[in-house]
Amino acid sequence: MSCILELKHVSKFFGGLAANSDVSFEVQREMILGLIGPNGAGKTTLFNCMTGYYPPSKGEVNLKGVRINGLQPNAVCRLGMVRTWQKVRPLAKMSVLDNVMVGALARTNSLRVARQVAFEQLKIVRMEAKADLLAGGLPIGERKKLEVARVLATKPELLLLDEVMGGLNPTESEEIIQLILELKKLGLTQIVIEHDMKAIMRLSDRIVVLNSGEKLAEGSPQEVANNPDVVAAYLGEAADA
Amino acid sequence: MTVFLQSTLSGILVGGVYALIGVGLTMIFGVMRVINFAHGDLLMVGMYLTWGLFTWLGLDPYVSLLITAPAMVVFGALLQKVFINRVLNALPQNQILLTIGLGLIMSNGMMLVFTSDYRILTTSYSSSSFMLGGISVSQPLLYSFLVTVLITVALFLFLQRTDTGQAIRATAQDREAAQLMGINVTRMSVLAFGLGTALAGTAGALLAPTYYIFPQVGGPFTLKAFVVVVLGGMGSVVGATLGGVLIGLTESLAAVYVASGLKELVVYVAFLLVLLFKPSGLLGKSRM
Amino acid sequence: MGDRSGALLPRARAPRGFSLASLVALVALVLVVALIPQVIKKPLILHMWIMVFLAVAQGAAWNLIGGYAGQYSVGHAAYFGMGAYTTMLLLEQHQIAPWFGLGLSVLNAVLLSTIIGSITFRLRGPYFVLASIAVAEILRLGALHFKDYTRGAEGILLSGIPPLETPWFAIRFVGKVPFYYASLLLAGGVVLANWIVQRTKLGYYFQAIREDQDAAHSLGINLTLHKNVALALSAAFTAATGALFALYVRFIDPNIVLGIDVSVQAVLICIIGGIGTIPGPVVGSIVLVLLSETLRNPKWLAQLGIVGYDSAPVAFIEAHFSNAHMLIYGILVVLVIEYAPDGILGLSRTAWNRWRRARRPEAPSQPSAA
Repeated sequence: MSCILELKHVSKFFGGLAANSDVSFEVQREMILGLIGPNGAGKTTLFNCMTGYYPPSKGEVNLKGVRINGLQPNAVCRLGMVRTWQKVRPLAKMSVLDNVMVGALARTNSLRVARQVAFEQLKIVRMEAKADLLAGGLPIGERKKLEVARVLATKPELLLLDEVMGGLNPTESEEIIQLILELKKLGLTQIVIEHDMKAIMRLSDRIVVLNSGEKLAEGSPQEVANNPDVVAAYLGEAADA
Repeated sequence: MTVFLQSTLSGILVGGVYALIGVGLTMIFGVMRVINFAHGDLLMVGMYLTWGLFTWLGLDPYVSLLITAPAMVVFGALLQKVFINRVLNALPQNQILLTIGLGLIMSNGMMLVFTSDYRILTTSYSSSSFMLGGISVSQPLLYSFLVTVLITVALFLFLQRTDTGQAIRATAQDREAAQLMGINVTRMSVLAFGLGTALAGTAGALLAPTYYIFPQVGGPFTLKAFVVVVLGGMGSVVGATLGGVLIGLTESLAAVYVASGLKELVVYVAFLLVLLFKPSGLLGKSRM
Repeated sequence: MGDRSGALLPRARAPRGFSLASLVALVALVLVVALIPQVIKKPLILHMWIMVFLAVAQGAAWNLIGGYAGQYSVGHAAYFGMGAYTTMLLLEQHQIAPWFGLGLSVLNAVLLSTIIGSITFRLRGPYFVLASIAVAEILRLGALHFKDYTRGAEGILLSGIPPLETPWFAIRFVGKVPFYYASLLLAGGVVLANWIVQRTKLGYYFQAIREDQDAAHSLGINLTLHKNVALALSAAFTAATGALFALYVRFIDPNIVLGIDVSVQAVLICIIGGIGTIPGPVVGSIVLVLLSETLRNPKWLAQLGIVGYDSAPVAFIEAHFSNAHMLIYGILVVLVIEYAPDGILGLSRTAWNRWRRARRPEAPSQPSAA
């Protein structure tokens, strides 16, 4: 089936605060879905609910037709959905290669096979020369690429990228954009959270806009860009470059 | 019934001292996020200081507090500046090990100097008690409790009403923001550790007339201090005060109704239960 | 507690871990050390070696959960004491030979670790440390109080170990030599276990959990399972060490085998030597045991031929410092944490790197741009 992910009326409450409120949308295979919204709109919270970091308070998350509410993150990973983190989380005292191998070990018990898979992913992000360096010593751009390589090693079907371009210079950002497009060609489905509007417009097949925890709008990039509610929600937010 | 009232009362009185220890520990944690495993040993130092002033200068423990407390402030400030400050950004596990090490140095250093012989400090009122309607109240315990109340109120007023006190609270709430507002957070850390040390030392001084004094006496108090602090919520002064009294009560009642040898065990079991079910403390005020 | 992943570590090559060559070296070392009792017969020297081996076993066992999986238990005395008491009680109360007692000790420890794990692993950071201490204290206080089961503060005195009958001869546990080989075997076994863990998927997963638990979780790692496996392995080896220790020193009580000193020592050995490494516990054990045993039994220096039995240094140490080993531990740990948090191994690695860089004519490594 072509619908890989379905969110139905997902809400998440923290005490009295509704971080997500009645969010529903579908993601088709090999699509790039842009997830945007002002700061605090609930985008990362949604990723957390989807991947099992915590369960949604209400609603359903269906991955490949299977309800995954309340599954632990490691089970969600095995089912094919992984995420990167807004604040990068390298396994600092381990080497770059070992970091990616940890991801690869989700699919194999053999260190030899994991090492091969890891090298392949490092080639994709063009970091194979840094394989033996300590992950904790890398600059931010390389940490982000490392994190992408690491989740790719788990052989996902659906990849959630949380502000993977945050803190990168234009060259690094362009590299990531090319990487995302390449991954799409390889058959991966992706949901991308970004503040960089130009990048989102270029990358996304479809965009979902969140505001204050609710879904404000959904549609093609053109539709969303011309939506007056979306424009209003961003008024006061610095127009991003 | 008398037994129940009796143990409840002595539990509350002892609990006051536990509160003092707990408040000191929670202040240190609140301001510096450091878990001070040497806290009980600071109490031990206070005990020995009090004993020394009593044995060689004949000073009554409640009077010598005027010397002990400031001395402990200075001692704590020194510890902070020399040892703790350097590891404020280290892994929490390493901080814990550092304070464990400091505690080992203190307790074993004392053992080298004073040997592990039990010392006692007997004042004229050490074994006297008042009679309150059929219940006997130990005099030194009552005095200690009163002093504790005084100190707690004074501390509370200090934290709420004075500039320095508010600066300490600001640092505890948000270190970076406090720094941006011009507060010297390093000085606040030194002060907090000094105050925390003084509170522990004072607790030791207050316990000196009724407890055996020996180098290893600090250990159980450290663990109990943590129980108090977790119960009240890490970083909450009010919570530590209430937690202290609660732990004193629990221990006292357990000694009577379970078994005297098991009273500490009961406290630790209660601790585990709190950690499992309400880690943010009974009042939910934890800063963790 | 602050975003420590933001701090940049030196832009260095990651240590490659112990290779096969190192394993061969390890085995060779063990064989060489095994020959020592054939040459040296002085009991105090053999005693030192036995204490070193027991410490290596204790430290390397803790290393599995503390160094690799990153869960700093400061309550490992629970397993040490469980091992000691199980073996001693079975031997003294029920005349069950210690080699069977050892098996039961390990089993008990694994069971205990599952219970403790289920309670404590939900807790993070300092809460976990506190809980581990509380559990060990509960066991110690329980052992003191429930005299009918454990003989309380009176302790258990070993009356004798039955000979181990093999098809060729009987091994009598008299004197130091049998314990030398037993403890060497145990130490070798635990270090080997460290080596195996490090080079398998388990090791990778343990270290991922140590570095960033949430990231590890999202990469497909079952946290509960792996933490419990690490703890079970650690507890099993710790209990075996406790049992062997009990048989060797012949007397135990709750404070000796369930006291916090035991827990602290296990951690110190790894911290001082180099946490999360294979040689770390070995180095740490040698340093700690040399220091503490010299303070406890300065006469062993005389057996080495360094000083006379009645010389001034020996007398001085005996008179003043015989119980100062915990003080030395405290000083060591403060020094290590303040100045060398990666232990002696970390210091030597930094020195090695610096020496290598100085010898190469290439440009020095640039500081990484953030």
